[in-house]
Amino acid sequence: MKQRSREPEEMLPLTPAVLHIMLALLDGERHGYGIMQEIAQRTGGKMRMGPGTLYGSLKRMIEDGLIEESGERPDPGLDDERRRYYRLTAFGQRVIHAEIRRLEQIIQFAHAKQLVANPETPGGA
Amino acid sequence: MGDLSPAHRQNLSFRLYRLLLFCYPPAFRRACMDEMLQTFRDCYREALQLQGHRGLLRLWQWLLRDLAITVSVEYVRACIKWLKQLFALEERQVQFFMNITFAQQTDIGRQRDVNEDSMISVLPDDPRQLNEKGALFVVADGLGGHTGGELASELAVNTVREAYYQDEGSDRAAALQRAVQQANTRIYQQNLAKSPKPSPEWIMGTTCVAAVLLGDSVIVANVGDSRAYIVRGDEMKQITHDHSLVAEELRAGLITREQAKNHPQRNLISRCLGEGTVEVDIFTEHVQTGDKLLLCTDGLSALVDDDELAMIVRRYDLQESVQRLIERANELGGPDNITAVVAQVA
Repeated sequence: MKQRSREPEEMLPLTPAVLHIMLALLDGERHGYGIMQEIAQRTGGKMRMGPGTLYGSLKRMIEDGLIEESGERPDPGLDDERRRYYRLTAFGQRVIHAEIRRLEQIIQFAHAKQLVANPETPGGA
Repeated sequence: MGDLSPAHRQNLSFRLYRLLLFCYPPAFRRACMDEMLQTFRDCYREALQLQGHRGLLRLWQWLLRDLAITVSVEYVRACIKWLKQLFALEERQVQFFMNITFAQQTDIGRQRDVNEDSMISVLPDDPRQLNEKGALFVVADGLGGHTGGELASELAVNTVREAYYQDEGSDRAAALQRAVQQANTRIYQQNLAKSPKPSPEWIMGTTCVAAVLLGDSVIVANVGDSRAYIVRGDEMKQITHDHSLVAEELRAGLITREQAKNHPQRNLISRCLGEGTVEVDIFTEHVQTGDKLLLCTDGLSALVDDDELAMIVRRYDLQESVQRLIERANELGGPDNITAVVAQVA
């Protein structure tokens, strides 16, 4: 089976749902509900990802090799129920870093263009 | 619904959401339903705590919207996938002409009164499945009191088969690893169901070695001391690393090979399925025409020398070689259950 070794760039751009999930996992493992909470908190309640979107995305991200399951255990902050935790794979880490770089470049361009177009009012048109 | 007790209301809400989840396509449900229900409970609790009954109303509005949108999304995705497969537009690896044959046999041995080994060999009829996912062989050696071993090994082989072929990922080694992880989870859940703090007499576990023949490779996932070998021409190579205390000591250089052979604790394994979390070893090897793959439990490999195993597999055709392997183990006393699967790439 000739497996193409994939380049992170092939996965870009990420859909908003995938991007948010990966950002949530960037600082450690979380379970599904934990990912939902992190995203809601990080976006100040503006992005509330529903369970259908969340788990549909998680399932596809596992198949694409971006994340993996990392065991089942209870969340000490919640209750005794065991929850499935997820984490980024090594490939997933490369992908999210590539995406962040790509987005940074876009933002830099945007700032540069605004300054050139309106030198008297930097950052606004 | 005002006159219902909170617990009753929660129960009804839960049952309603569960029913609504049946709108999703079956594959999605299989993968996600349990977690979605768990998350529903968490969201319900949070909404009730933070905003009371108004919160619950908002929760339902939000959930129903999510459901409506994502059910459509999942069905559209399933359709697209089906259409792609129909018109063979799915990016496919080069089609290898694979002619795989196999033989398998398991035996209770001469000294046990239960056979706690299980085995399974899957050669898909559908050429598309064969080319995309390959042929699967799994062998498992169960351990545990009160016939738990038999149940564990059977659960292992069946779960790996189901999970591997349902997995749609393009990385088949990762898919095989995930399948073995799922088998571990199932067995662990059974252990917990018997008792939240399983005591040694009730805990059941199993080794598991699973091999996939796909294209010009064999992928092997392993937990425990059952083994996978490749026999090519004059050479035989063990693909897996044993997870036994003795093998770990040998690898660490603490004992010699001779000491390992006669070690009194050579039957103790250091890793098995049925524990909370387990690390699944995964190997990929190139295969070529004429190679034979041997999967076996330690009822065979701990008894019969590697050289003799190789000789039997090399010399005889598949069916006869598995029979002779079992006979040889029984000749040497058959202290354990014996299982052998031999597959050939032609």
